[in-house]
Amino acid sequence: MSLFTSIDRMTKSGCNQVEWAASRRDFLAKAGAGFGSLALTSLLARDAAAAEASRGDLVNPLASKPPHFAPRARSVVFLFMEGGPSHLDTFDPKPALKRHAGKPLPPSFTKGLITAMGEYDSPVFPDKREWKQYGQSGLWVSDWCRHAGENADEMCILRSCWANGIVHSNGVCQMNTGSILAGRPSLGAWVSYGLGTVNQNLPAFVVMQDNNGTVVNGPRNWGAGFMPAVYQGTRILPGSEPIANLNTPEGVSDERQLGKLDFLNSLNRGHASARASQTELDARIAAYELAFRMQAEAPDAVDLSKETDATRRLYGMEDKDSATFGRMCLLARRLVERGVRFVQLYSGAGSKWDAHSDIEKNHGERFRETDRAVAGLLKDLKSRGLLDTTLVVWGGEFGRTPMSEKGNGRDHNPTGFTMWMAGGGVKGGQVIGATDEFGLHAVEDRLHVHDLHATILWLMGLKNLGLTYNYKGRPENPTINEGEPCVKVAGHAA
Amino acid sequence: MKSLISASFLCGATIVSAAAAPAPAGAAFFESKVRPLLVEHCFKCHSHDAEKIKGGLVLDSRAGVLQGGDTGPAIVPGQPGQSLLIKAVSGADKDLQMPPKTKLASAEVETLRQWVKMGAPWSGTGSQTSTPKRAAGKITDEDRQWWAFQPVKPVAVPAIRNPQSAIRNDIDRFILAKLADAGLQPSPEADRVTLARRVYFDLVGLPPKPTEIDEFVNDRSADAYEKLVDRLLASPRHGEKWARHWLDLVRFAESDGYKADDFRPHAWRFRDYVVKAFNDDKPYHRFVQEQLAADELFADNPDALAGTAYFRAGIYEYNNRDVRGQWQRILEDITDTTADAFLGMGLQCARCHDHKFDPILQKDYYRFQAFFAPLLPRDDLTLATPAERAGHAVKLKQWNEATADIHTEITKLLASVKRNTEKSAIEKFIEDIRVMMNKPPGERTPYEHQIAELAYRQVIYDIERLDTKLKGEAKDRVLALRKKLTEFDALKPAPLPTLIAATDVGPVAPAVFIPKKESLGAIPAGFPTVLDEKPATVKPFATSTGRRAALAQWLTQPSNPLTARVMVNRLWQWHFGRGLAANASDFGKLGEKPSHPELLDWLAERFVAEGWSLKKLHRLIVTSATYRQRSQTGAGEGGRKGEREIAAPAPSHPLTLSTAHLKDPENRLLWRFPSRRLEAEQIRDAILSVTGELKLEPVGGPSTDALTPRRTIYSKILRNARDPILDVFDLAESFNSVAQRNTTTTPTQALLLFNSQMMLRHARAFASRLDQEFPSSDDEMIGAAYRLAFGREPRAAEKAAALKFVGEQMKRIGAAEAAASAKPFAAEKMPYRDGVAAVVTPEIGSETLLVPDSPTLPKADFTIEAAILVRTVDKGGTVRTIAAKWAGDNKKPGWGFAVTGDGSRRKPRTLVMQFIGTKLDGSFGEDAIFSDQTLELGRPYFVAASVRLATNKEPGEVTFYVKDLANDDEPISIVNVPHSITGGFANTLSLQIGGRAARSGGFDGMIDDVRLSTGALKQDELLLSHDAATDKTAGFWQFESRPNAFKDSSASGNDIRPPAAAAKAAANARTAALADFCHALLNANEFVYVD
Repeated sequence: MSLFTSIDRMTKSGCNQVEWAASRRDFLAKAGAGFGSLALTSLLARDAAAAEASRGDLVNPLASKPPHFAPRARSVVFLFMEGGPSHLDTFDPKPALKRHAGKPLPPSFTKGLITAMGEYDSPVFPDKREWKQYGQSGLWVSDWCRHAGENADEMCILRSCWANGIVHSNGVCQMNTGSILAGRPSLGAWVSYGLGTVNQNLPAFVVMQDNNGTVVNGPRNWGAGFMPAVYQGTRILPGSEPIANLNTPEGVSDERQLGKLDFLNSLNRGHASARASQTELDARIAAYELAFRMQAEAPDAVDLSKETDATRRLYGMEDKDSATFGRMCLLARRLVERGVRFVQLYSGAGSKWDAHSDIEKNHGERFRETDRAVAGLLKDLKSRGLLDTTLVVWGGEFGRTPMSEKGNGRDHNPTGFTMWMAGGGVKGGQVIGATDEFGLHAVEDRLHVHDLHATILWLMGLKNLGLTYNYKGRPENPTINEGEPCVKVAGHAA
Repeated sequence: MKSLISASFLCGATIVSAAAAPAPAGAAFFESKVRPLLVEHCFKCHSHDAEKIKGGLVLDSRAGVLQGGDTGPAIVPGQPGQSLLIKAVSGADKDLQMPPKTKLASAEVETLRQWVKMGAPWSGTGSQTSTPKRAAGKITDEDRQWWAFQPVKPVAVPAIRNPQSAIRNDIDRFILAKLADAGLQPSPEADRVTLARRVYFDLVGLPPKPTEIDEFVNDRSADAYEKLVDRLLASPRHGEKWARHWLDLVRFAESDGYKADDFRPHAWRFRDYVVKAFNDDKPYHRFVQEQLAADELFADNPDALAGTAYFRAGIYEYNNRDVRGQWQRILEDITDTTADAFLGMGLQCARCHDHKFDPILQKDYYRFQAFFAPLLPRDDLTLATPAERAGHAVKLKQWNEATADIHTEITKLLASVKRNTEKSAIEKFIEDIRVMMNKPPGERTPYEHQIAELAYRQVIYDIERLDTKLKGEAKDRVLALRKKLTEFDALKPAPLPTLIAATDVGPVAPAVFIPKKESLGAIPAGFPTVLDEKPATVKPFATSTGRRAALAQWLTQPSNPLTARVMVNRLWQWHFGRGLAANASDFGKLGEKPSHPELLDWLAERFVAEGWSLKKLHRLIVTSATYRQRSQTGAGEGGRKGEREIAAPAPSHPLTLSTAHLKDPENRLLWRFPSRRLEAEQIRDAILSVTGELKLEPVGGPSTDALTPRRTIYSKILRNARDPILDVFDLAESFNSVAQRNTTTTPTQALLLFNSQMMLRHARAFASRLDQEFPSSDDEMIGAAYRLAFGREPRAAEKAAALKFVGEQMKRIGAAEAAASAKPFAAEKMPYRDGVAAVVTPEIGSETLLVPDSPTLPKADFTIEAAILVRTVDKGGTVRTIAAKWAGDNKKPGWGFAVTGDGSRRKPRTLVMQFIGTKLDGSFGEDAIFSDQTLELGRPYFVAASVRLATNKEPGEVTFYVKDLANDDEPISIVNVPHSITGGFANTLSLQIGGRAARSGGFDGMIDDVRLSTGALKQDELLLSHDAATDKTAGFWQFESRPNAFKDSSASGNDIRPPAAAAKAAANARTAALADFCHALLNANEFVYVD
């Protein structure tokens, strides 16, 4: 339904808007003289630039903000393979696995190693993949990701990632928040805080998942932690109501809903008129108006009916297996087009990449679900000129062990694993870092999760240590006082 | 959507209100923008930490900046153009260029320019002196001079000559003195209606009832207000409100907070302990001692021991094989939380290095941690007196003797599977942990015992699930034996209440080392060096180190400079929205200095002198004239019998209010009362209260789900599945200690309050209450609605507007709409799932969700699936039906899929598929097929029964599937049970969801995504893998609002038929219009803000 026009009508016919806004500015100007001009300056600046903007913008924390330096990427699409995809069967070929198949790893590799399921002394499990070099750059990619491989010249493969969490909950928590312990803001929340959003009618940070399962730890993965909730990610749900409670309730006509809204507005304006200095009352009125502007824009953003069959095929949507993730990737492109800052897509929500046994079946299915969709996203972004400004990140919370588990699976491996990045200023066709000969530990150009986050922020024009939020008297930053951007991803010398 | 708009309640110009009260804009700007810049780009050469200070310039203090270096002052405050620093960083002068090798970004230069223009504010008010360099690991005399470390000194109450405004107690003298210094005056006293609403929400967390307002307004005695305050402080509702503040501080929640967010069924005892402590006005020093060391100080008092659950409230990961790591993180959580909550010092920074700004050494972190290093979590203690325990033991012995044979046989049957389970559970740990576990407890070191016990919890987790690993005859036998055991229930004593608690591991403490500095040796327990550099004096007990007792006693000595100040300040913050010291859990240098340091000390001293009584302190604060001021400075609100005065400045007021805004826009000096938004719990409680749904009984006890209309303090707080309404209104994340909640304003809140089925349900309840209590006229109803929701009468114009709205809305509402708004079941979010589920109660289960019989409903093999959450099961043998095509008559054909009751002939709380049909031998009758998988109450599950009928060739089989939706790690449980039904159960009855066509058998809980399919589906065809309708689907009911809650999502078109009776009863446009009016009131700003 379109409440958009009605809102317009309502605000104009409400109270004397223009005069009111002017007096509010006066008040702020006076007050400002007393308490520092920071807030005031930015408010007035924005106010002048958007004279017609609703009053809510006066206090909008998600207003677009300048980065620290010229950004390479404007948006991020983070493809999160939840459960931990194997690097050894995808982007980090290790011939030694075949040579040592069936034998335990030399003790020097496993000394002090703790694995989730206690597989430290299990025999080495060889990969069963066919490997091929792709593109001009000749990057090695396995047959599981052959479609993604076609974009090799856009991809920068990071083979030396490492993390601290050995189980899913702390791994996923760290890959999202920098800490294996809950309570900190997610990377997307930091980006929303640091850069705001260019589209006020859509969330700055959007999350989607491919099934009804619960992403490990639940919604706090995209939470704002100790920062205000306004920066947290918003789930876009499949089906008829993309955002919780977005629709007018069942069985309620537009006319009735509007009548109620009008009445509520008159209650609130009467109340606010006697409380001139309480701007949060106006912010709350504006929040209702905004909620209904969102009703107009969000359904359109997720409406795929105008996409061509060719586009759908590009994302593999005609195929039953890849239809769901294909749809998510296509939605991600539509959201990025509309200015959404950070899109996170979960594949295998509920640890479905967790191949403790029968990795052939598990990963085979996951890649059937995702490989074409991911490749399609890269191609589509590129053909539309969006790849230059959109950073695509692929990976999970950790990789998998060279040792077998239950004979045909692999245990968790946070000490060395692969992620890749493309677009958004990343120089494609390169590999950074390396693991040891078995792929157990990252050994060259090691990239901790904090470094990965610093790199993503750096590509977005933000300094990981310079982006601070004061909490309990401490200037907190996204990477917990650690982490350095890996500037090699953009082709710079280290 | 959590986005787009957020506003602080303190000041509209504060862009985002954060957890900590906002610092003055300048200091905040410096702290968030400037200091990081200086640290990053300048300090390498221009700070006291620099290896070599270049050019004689230090930029790590304001004094240093002003004094400048060899070339003169770095800045001229307010004059960027004349400031060397700006010249240097802007690159205008090549010789000056700084930093020498890189260039600052233009935005950074702009930041510095803006900062200088603002007058170069530094962090913290007045802290403009140079911070002296502190040598590593040392505390300076100047550090000790910091106000918070000074003893609380007696303070003289300021004398106020010729007061122009009311002075009700000495608090007002302190406030007036500061206001006078600033040339400001307080606001006049708020009217009584406003005051009543304020003090009710503040002291008991609920809105006053209209009769309660009347009682107060009509009480003409001079101390009417004081009497009201006393009534509220004595009300059991007081503790129910104030406990939550403390629970935020001690990061309390009722689930594990990791991947498996396991519910903690006994955690509520700590919540009740805190509620009771506030209600009983337990002296604060005792409250502190009990939580930190009841096991050492009050070992014989189980009530006090409940306080030690404080140590257990943090998060826990049930399958973490890194046992040492997990234990260290548990200790860090306890260290950090204790420092934050009890000491008001943020120690976290010092975990890795000396604190950069405060005199907290890294060593201090581990000295403090050493108090807790001997802890041992305990689940084996009970909340019982020695006599109760003895009595219980006698009865238990009798029961054990009477059932010895049964127990022996069960033990025998379980022996091998238990052995294997234990063995494989232990094998998941690395060698050195296994060694610890395999040692007899007596031979373990204290640390080994802690680690082994922590690891053993994982083994116990598996052992508790032994029954699921049994198969065939052994399983049937164990079930039969367990059934037989219940015959002895009369002999069995009720279990003693389980206590979640902690004690020490023994009299010897494991050693604490600073990571990577083990060479420094073991760190003895001690307090922060700045307060006391000697190790703590600890007197060991027979079975305990005595360390925590020493800590508790040190904290609660009257001479401790922090404990009383911190708590007094918290109370002030919870009453006024901001503490006298703004950063309530950190009195260090990054916090602000108190706005009224003398008042803080005066209150702290009095608090201790009056026996650490929180209620006396509450009373003192809320009876002050400062608290009773008006919050509003504009035109007044609509009157209630002329009671609500016009809040315009009094003629004698020497200053206009805009002057006060100008001089003290943040109201730090309290020239008015700060109005504010209700907190999450108060919003839910107020909704339930106003709509008449709220049940105040039972007080305390096990937590209930969000659907139960009890006070929110009694709702389950699950870390990973937050209740939607609490979540959007800024419920604290229970992962760390939270001293002050965020207050955000978001469209998500608007969407939830305006569009959710939950709020429509509350609005209908509100309307129906009005209809029942004030049936005489719309006019009266509207008046009553205003009194209930806002505490006041509507003005004439408001009443007219409301009447007009109801009239117009009636015209807008069609008959179909009215019917839809009277949907007989509520649609709510099921924890850990998306969308909404149908809420079904036994009362409606028998009549409402009917799918008329149709040829597409299966008559042979079929599969029924659903997501369910069982709130209760029947106390007897009656089942609770998930879905049935059966009238419950054992002689007539049909089938039912249900959950068994406590008195089940087989096993309680398990799935059962009942058939009345034809059996293999040709007879007609009942067959009940049990899954034997136990369902926990209040937990979401996916359940399914895939039915393959018996044929001449092979017996039939029902495959039951159960998947715990709260724990992804828990694998799907699959059970195959043979049966002999060949068919003959078809009938012409409706399919019913949540009930069967009989009085009994209605479901109690939530049901969602019910799918009925033709044929026995295989595992990979279930909803868990493909959550859509397929060509096998006979019906798929998802209860979502689009297209509508009754719609079948499959192609079969088997929609649920809304019951005619309910639709007719509600097809009343007036009722619906009235509900819309109520709904608007519940959304109104006046409802969620308190003046």
